[in-house]
Amino acid sequence: MDAQVPRDGKLPPLWHYGHEGHDEISTKTLGFWLYMISDSLIFGGLFAAYGVLDQPMSFAGGPGPAQIMHPVAAFGQTLAVLTSVLAYSLGTLAMKTNNKAGVLLGIVGAMVLAVIFLGLEFNDFAVLYAHGATLQRSGFLAAFFILIATHGLHMMFGLLWMAVMLVQVGRYGLSKEIVMRLLNLRLFWQFQASVWVCVYIYVYLRGTFS
Amino acid sequence: MLVDLQGPWSPLFGRLTLASIPYSNPIIIFAFVFTALAGLAVVVPVLYYRKVGYIFREWLTSVDHKKIGVMYIILGLVMMFRGFVDGMMIRTQQVMADGPHSPGVMEAQHGYLPPSHFDQIYSSHGTLMILFAVTPILTGLGNIIVPLQIGARDMAFPTMNAISLWLTAVGAMLIMASLFIGDFSDAGWVGLTPLTELPYSPSVGVDYWMWAIQISSIGTTLNAINIITTIVGMRAPGMRWDRLPIFTWTTLSTNIIGLTAFPILGVALALLGADRYLGTHFYTAGLGGNLMLYTDLFWIWGHPEVYFLVLPSFGILSEVIATFSEKPLFGYITMVAATFAIAGISWAVWLHHFFTMGAGPWVNTFFSVATMLVGIPTGVKVFNWMFTMYRGRITYTTPMLWSVAALILLLVGGLTGVMLANPAIDYTVHNSVFVIAHFHCMVLLIAFTIFAAVIYWYPKVFGYKLDERNGTWFFATFTAGTAITFTAMFGLGFMGETRRLDYLYDPSWQPLLIVEELGIFVYVLSCYFFCRMFYVSIRDRNLNRCGADPWGTSRTLEWMTHSPVPFYNFAVTPHVNARDELAFRRSVGADETPPDHYEAIHMPKNTMIPVLIGVLAFGFGFGMVWRIWWMAGLSLLGIIALVIFRSFVHDHGYLLSGEDIARMEGKASQMSIMSETQDEMAMAEGVH
Amino acid sequence: MSVHEDADPLMHPEVQQSSVFGYLSGYAVTVLLLLLSMYITIAHMLPPIPLLGVLSGLALVILIAQAFLFFGLDFSQHHIWKSLSIILTVPLFILSIGLTVWMFHSLDGLTMMPDMPGMSMQPTLLQ
Repeated sequence: MDAQVPRDGKLPPLWHYGHEGHDEISTKTLGFWLYMISDSLIFGGLFAAYGVLDQPMSFAGGPGPAQIMHPVAAFGQTLAVLTSVLAYSLGTLAMKTNNKAGVLLGIVGAMVLAVIFLGLEFNDFAVLYAHGATLQRSGFLAAFFILIATHGLHMMFGLLWMAVMLVQVGRYGLSKEIVMRLLNLRLFWQFQASVWVCVYIYVYLRGTFS
Repeated sequence: MLVDLQGPWSPLFGRLTLASIPYSNPIIIFAFVFTALAGLAVVVPVLYYRKVGYIFREWLTSVDHKKIGVMYIILGLVMMFRGFVDGMMIRTQQVMADGPHSPGVMEAQHGYLPPSHFDQIYSSHGTLMILFAVTPILTGLGNIIVPLQIGARDMAFPTMNAISLWLTAVGAMLIMASLFIGDFSDAGWVGLTPLTELPYSPSVGVDYWMWAIQISSIGTTLNAINIITTIVGMRAPGMRWDRLPIFTWTTLSTNIIGLTAFPILGVALALLGADRYLGTHFYTAGLGGNLMLYTDLFWIWGHPEVYFLVLPSFGILSEVIATFSEKPLFGYITMVAATFAIAGISWAVWLHHFFTMGAGPWVNTFFSVATMLVGIPTGVKVFNWMFTMYRGRITYTTPMLWSVAALILLLVGGLTGVMLANPAIDYTVHNSVFVIAHFHCMVLLIAFTIFAAVIYWYPKVFGYKLDERNGTWFFATFTAGTAITFTAMFGLGFMGETRRLDYLYDPSWQPLLIVEELGIFVYVLSCYFFCRMFYVSIRDRNLNRCGADPWGTSRTLEWMTHSPVPFYNFAVTPHVNARDELAFRRSVGADETPPDHYEAIHMPKNTMIPVLIGVLAFGFGFGMVWRIWWMAGLSLLGIIALVIFRSFVHDHGYLLSGEDIARMEGKASQMSIMSETQDEMAMAEGVH
Repeated sequence: MSVHEDADPLMHPEVQQSSVFGYLSGYAVTVLLLLLSMYITIAHMLPPIPLLGVLSGLALVILIAQAFLFFGLDFSQHHIWKSLSIILTVPLFILSIGLTVWMFHSLDGLTMMPDMPGMSMQPTLLQ
């Protein structure tokens, strides 16, 4: 036992009164961060699957990465998602000065850009489908579509979350619970940008030269 | 539809038809009657004594970590019983179906189970035991004990805690449903491809298996987030990292594994789901699929998973052995380091589950060496436990008996594991019952520690001790059954018996198979003593009421609360001054010192949301299994709507005043985890 | 770090930590380095394996910059757990993806027939 019993024989404090020093906002954001770690491992698993299926045997005579990846066009999606993240992040800066309107503006900007991102992605998929490169065509295409679609699905959930936050910030202002949710949404949204960096480099860019 | 379904499909009922109900299978009929009677035995008294409201108010909507933990453990024990019945059926089939002249009854050519039914039984045995028996019990134990050990009032996210429980229960319910509506997977608990692909498993069995695991895995991941945040952020003042009880340390490392490994399982099963539902080619044999990708992804999860199960057991061993040797745990720092070393290395060993699949000597060597490395921190732990016992004052209470037996099983299981880590040996015993005997030694040691923990902490939660005499008989019979069955199984493994066989072609195995069956009979006897232990204990509970420290020699913080623990845990948050805080306070004579005044505390309110999410999750799972798209879709939308709705609700708690707490503390010995919270408060006020 | 229960949520460090400079520079670093990656790839400046190495390096720089500039991760008391948890998760990625790729590469070398003309054409008999 490592406790120090003071020389004068008095006992160390046995009970703690008053506030315990547990900060609810930090607790909630840590919990959400841990969720993001588990989410990142979902992407890790999908990247592993993509890495295994990204080879000629898995093209099954169909298109390979060189035929379907267009890095320059995909840079448009890159800009859309990154600017969306920037818009939302700048919006959260308005929290520092209790500026509700600034927060709402940031959210709206982020939503618009996210819709643009998803629109570009759907368009991409539509073009591929028109050329017969469907989800069921080969193992490689399955891995490609599911990886990109999982990121897209995250973006869609983020959009739903943003819509709910628009309502809540509008109605309740910047209370503690709303602030917690905005902080968590920032973590979530910035994470989407990080995942997209990996997608762009390891799928779109690597696809052109492997 | 994107895939080729065998059998009918309608928009309203999906693949569900009257023919899905196996009313012509006598074994299923028997199972149904038994389950219905057991269900009635619970439901009828609840209705008769008008306790429906009580169950709803106090248990189903509870967000109290102790009640949630108790419900987890009850779920786990019930599923363990069903898993045990499955095991009995496997053993009986194999002892009956040995040799070309073995008899066959009912529809079976040999034994009493036709191959497809037998396959479903060993698949459900594995799935239930690992994911729905052991995992919930260990999760429940962590739920109850960890907040108490760190001096917290509840978990970081009480509502999410309840959601985790109900999602796990939903997974178990799906597997129970598979017994009576449709069938279960016959592809083993691992579910290797391409057997689990739609053309080779056209029925709903694999879908049941897949969705049960997926839904409960979400619960497990949420629980991991909860516990880690609780341990990191909600410790009592003075509870520094070097004072953390060892069970909390192991729970932390376990849930780090849970947080990081379960997503990979989610991916493995999701891709299989894509193959079965969307017609993709991730794991198919043609059009660019890769069969081994599933094996790889599954075992990336699968190996950390077994450490997810065994690390809490090691934590339990540390707690129980230290308490009943009346000594502090030997080598605290090395124990913690060993725990994290095991957790870390466990992420780099998964290929040892498929050495024989052709990855080559270099790859096999890397994974073999990594696997053997895990033995080193495990050995450190075993030595530390032995040194804790050395020169201690040992009392052989039932938890201590279970712990010592667990150590012996760990030795056998660990040594055979190191044997298997060698690819040269593994090539000869892969897929034989030698492997089964090895891992049953490991999971049974986990079961032993579970029994130790339940008996050890039961008085803390319920306020009275379990009967030691019947407990000792339970221990003796269960251990004997284990020894008999699995010693024989090691022998059969060396004799070449392959696993998962419903018909055994070599009659020379018969003697050892009979020995295994005798072991099963001894296990059945242990079930009797298990039930008797609880019956006698509950009957005599008022004679065996105990105080805060029922064992007399406990060392850690949770033993400072009353027994049973009041719903608010500690009346005043303790200030921690030492590792083994209770032992320290005892040594300076302060273990009975109460706080001098009480302040108001904020408690979370019970809520219906988690149960509703559970119901909708079952709807989602059932709908997806039977491809009833409207049911699955509406359930999913409902869950999202519930979550959004709850975010608009503001007041999630209530304030408990200092006077109320003072009064309840005075009457703490008359409280019970079973009583109503309002009744407790009224009793404290002297109204009752 | 004792932020009292009733304290103003807007004064919380996680709210106050954000800055225009941090977000704009994070954005700029990401966009510019991705532009650079795109250019190096399209201009075929390097053979495949060194190119993969360079791209991986650039990805790492971008992710670290984002960790610092977007997420605000550092080793202060407020962010230590987030930083630690992400640092300890990185080896898990390396292990799961790296060992998988190595394993399949080794497997393919042992079990697949050598690349011959027309070998990538698959029979489409099986679903």
